Amino acid sequence: MKTTISLAVLSCALATNAFAQDKTLTISVYSFAQDAYKEALYDPFEEICGCDLVVETGNSVERMAKIEANANDPIIDMAVISSHDALSLARKDLVAALDVSKLSNHAKLYPAAQDPIGGNRAVGYTFYASSIVYRTDLVEINSWADLLNEKLAGNVSLPNITGTQGPLTLMMLAKAAGNDSTDYSSVISSIGEHADDIVTFYSRSSELAQLMNQEEVIAAPVGRFAWSRFKSSPLPFAWAEPAEGQAGGMNVMIMTKGNGNEELAYQFMDYWLSTEVQTRVAEALIDSPANTEVIVSDDVADNLTYGAELINSLSILDPAEIINNRETWVEQWNTEVIK
Amino acid sequence: MRNLTTSTILGLTLTFLIGPFIIIIFAGASAGETLAFPPDGLSLKWYLKVFTIESFRESFLLSLFLAIFGTVTALLLGVPAAYALNRYDLPGAETIRTVVAAPIIVPGIIVGLALLRYLVVPLDFTVTMALFMAHTALVLPYAVRVVSSSLNNLRADMEEAAVLLGCTRMQAFTKVVLPNIRGGVLAAFILGFVTSFNQVPVSLFLSGPGVKTLPIDMLAYMEITYDPSVAALSALLAFMSLSIVFVAERLLGFSRYV
Amino acid sequence: MFFDTREGLALALPAAIFALLLFIAPVGILLSEAFQSDNGWTLQGYIDFFAKPLNRTVFLRTLKLGILVAGTAAVIGYAAAFCIVNLSASARGRVFGLVVLPLMISPVARTYAWIVILGRTGIVNDTIVGLGLSDTPIRLLFTETAVFLGLLQLFMPLMIISLVSAMENIPRDVIPAARVLGANWFQVFFKVILPLTKEGLVVGGTLVFTGALTAYITPAILGGSKVLMLETLLYQRVNVANDFVSASVIAMILIVMSFSANLLLKRIATARK
Repeated sequence: MKTTISLAVLSCALATNAFAQDKTLTISVYSFAQDAYKEALYDPFEEICGCDLVVETGNSVERMAKIEANANDPIIDMAVISSHDALSLARKDLVAALDVSKLSNHAKLYPAAQDPIGGNRAVGYTFYASSIVYRTDLVEINSWADLLNEKLAGNVSLPNITGTQGPLTLMMLAKAAGNDSTDYSSVISSIGEHADDIVTFYSRSSELAQLMNQEEVIAAPVGRFAWSRFKSSPLPFAWAEPAEGQAGGMNVMIMTKGNGNEELAYQFMDYWLSTEVQTRVAEALIDSPANTEVIVSDDVADNLTYGAELINSLSILDPAEIINNRETWVEQWNTEVIK
Repeated sequence: MRNLTTSTILGLTLTFLIGPFIIIIFAGASAGETLAFPPDGLSLKWYLKVFTIESFRESFLLSLFLAIFGTVTALLLGVPAAYALNRYDLPGAETIRTVVAAPIIVPGIIVGLALLRYLVVPLDFTVTMALFMAHTALVLPYAVRVVSSSLNNLRADMEEAAVLLGCTRMQAFTKVVLPNIRGGVLAAFILGFVTSFNQVPVSLFLSGPGVKTLPIDMLAYMEITYDPSVAALSALLAFMSLSIVFVAERLLGFSRYV
Repeated sequence: MFFDTREGLALALPAAIFALLLFIAPVGILLSEAFQSDNGWTLQGYIDFFAKPLNRTVFLRTLKLGILVAGTAAVIGYAAAFCIVNLSASARGRVFGLVVLPLMISPVARTYAWIVILGRTGIVNDTIVGLGLSDTPIRLLFTETAVFLGLLQLFMPLMIISLVSAMENIPRDVIPAARVLGANWFQVFFKVILPLTKEGLVVGGTLVFTGALTAYITPAILGGSKVLMLETLLYQRVNVANDFVSASVIAMILIVMSFSANLLLKRIATARK
């Protein structure tokens, strides 16, 4: 009896979340820079909408798993993820087609960001370049092929195939070998041959930053969003501009299907895409803008993936190619690289 | 000669066991921006920063809540069970014992996954509720085991005497048995608290919007940056656990029961 | 009858039912998942799992590291426990407290420290280079050695505690008596200490082996993707590929491994009698 009572009391205590404000928007975002987002985006939005934002953070695989698990009664109203993750959710019919007329800032976005996965099921809100960070005092990087060069043996890290950066690195290594298709089997094989020379296949840029700062690794491909961590280090790091150019990726916003909170979600997405917020977010060095009207100083721009010229030069891997081929890549990777 | 050997063996073993903890304390006290040992100068800024990180405050409270209420519930279930298994000649006692001890054998990550897939998703349990169940189940074996061993030391004829002298069964339990196993119950509570508070694998799959246990939140923080604040927080938590154990040891001789 | 059976069941059953419904049932369903297919029961999930070379490697590596960690913990544990038991009462309490201490510290913190210790510019490499054992720093992070050290540090206290309590039960004069009768230390250990402490070894061995199999953070942080173990593989299968069949297979393997380790150790202990 005692047990039942205490359980009952407990379930009351656990239900307190339900007593929050009437209007609540639950969003699912990457876990980095939450304090800065709060200031630039969440707090001002809560003020405008008179609602509560519940922010779910985590890495994308966990967050996607949760969206899928709650497909019938979505907990998450909108989420920001990579374009290929968005496409994979869309193929599982978990994503609502957007009515872009409800996004007043939609036309201000770079063309590539307006409908990145087709069917208006996502809009891009940030671009990032991806290149190689290296120690200028120890090596010189002119090509993506340098990653597997003898000189770097034992001091290089590559992104894991399961993350977003992994396929981008494969693409650029293939380009360096003169291969423009998405058949990466020979690239994976050559990574496999060099597996012992590679310190680790990292999965988080934070992990890479720690490894490079403790001089474990002297060169590795990484997204531009992580650059500020290297820039501020006492060690001499540089951002490579390889002959094959830089790879690029885009993160997008999606709305979950049937979440019942569409109006608020549109309002939030539109606000995030507005020149005002995109500028604030860019100036806080969190995300590079996808809104063409954003203007930032050269100093700020140096930390970002900024400007039409750069964005149009990036090699972007088609999200559909990633999803269609990933199983094959991972399979071969597991047999030849991780062994 | 033998003294020298003894101190060498113990010195090396303890260095191996305690060394990493010392390093964490100092790495957290770094004046630099990255995790390093020896640290880049000393400062308390990371120790102070820990308190300003909102998600750490929230997850700390959740972990505290789970550790306290999960353990109390485990004791409310476990003490009567331990008593019954000890005093009564029950049919299927061995089965009950195995069932109650099962959570200790099953790897935590599987528990978390199973609860997520079969309780949270289909039955609409909240993540907090599932975490609470998992942490209770996890502590249950310790509660039963530790309380059983202190019941073993208590002769059953004391209760019989109490009943003969006019106590009801309930009174005999509360007035005779409970005061005598107090130490065991408290030891079980502390053991359960520490186990629950530091638990990682069970909670890996069990997190939701704004709901994360502290160790999982620390891992999540490390996905953003490896700055020394996680080291500082780890050191602070260790001091918290240690002071609880220290106080308990002083008051009760806690280690006798573990 | 003073202790009525029905009353006893009423006291014991809530705990049992709680564990059964909220714990054993979900885990049981998860384990059964790999045996189900559209046309009845199957072992296909297991066959597919072991058909992949990576999975076999990970399984063998987990087994190997589990045995190595438990074995090393036993060797060091015996030495340390023997020293502890022979200390004066007050020193014994203090040293024992220091051995228990790591168990109170979050495994996140304990693993985190090793990143710094084992790094290229960490203490271990500084010592190795300083002593002239190697000209250049050796790579330790993301190797089996790193995972081994992390696990050993995490679980050795459990072995020492088990062995200390077993050794405390050895009558004080047995070892000196054996020495007087001409036994060397080697004989004393195998003929006297080991037989008298084997129960502690079984408990400690099972705890350390099971702990090493099911640790998540240590292989995740110190091993990374190059040194996968079953626990990290399980997490990856679920999170990256939504592959619940592999998760179910790995879960079963882990449980079977822990159980067999316990049975095997018990068997060895009784066979020596």
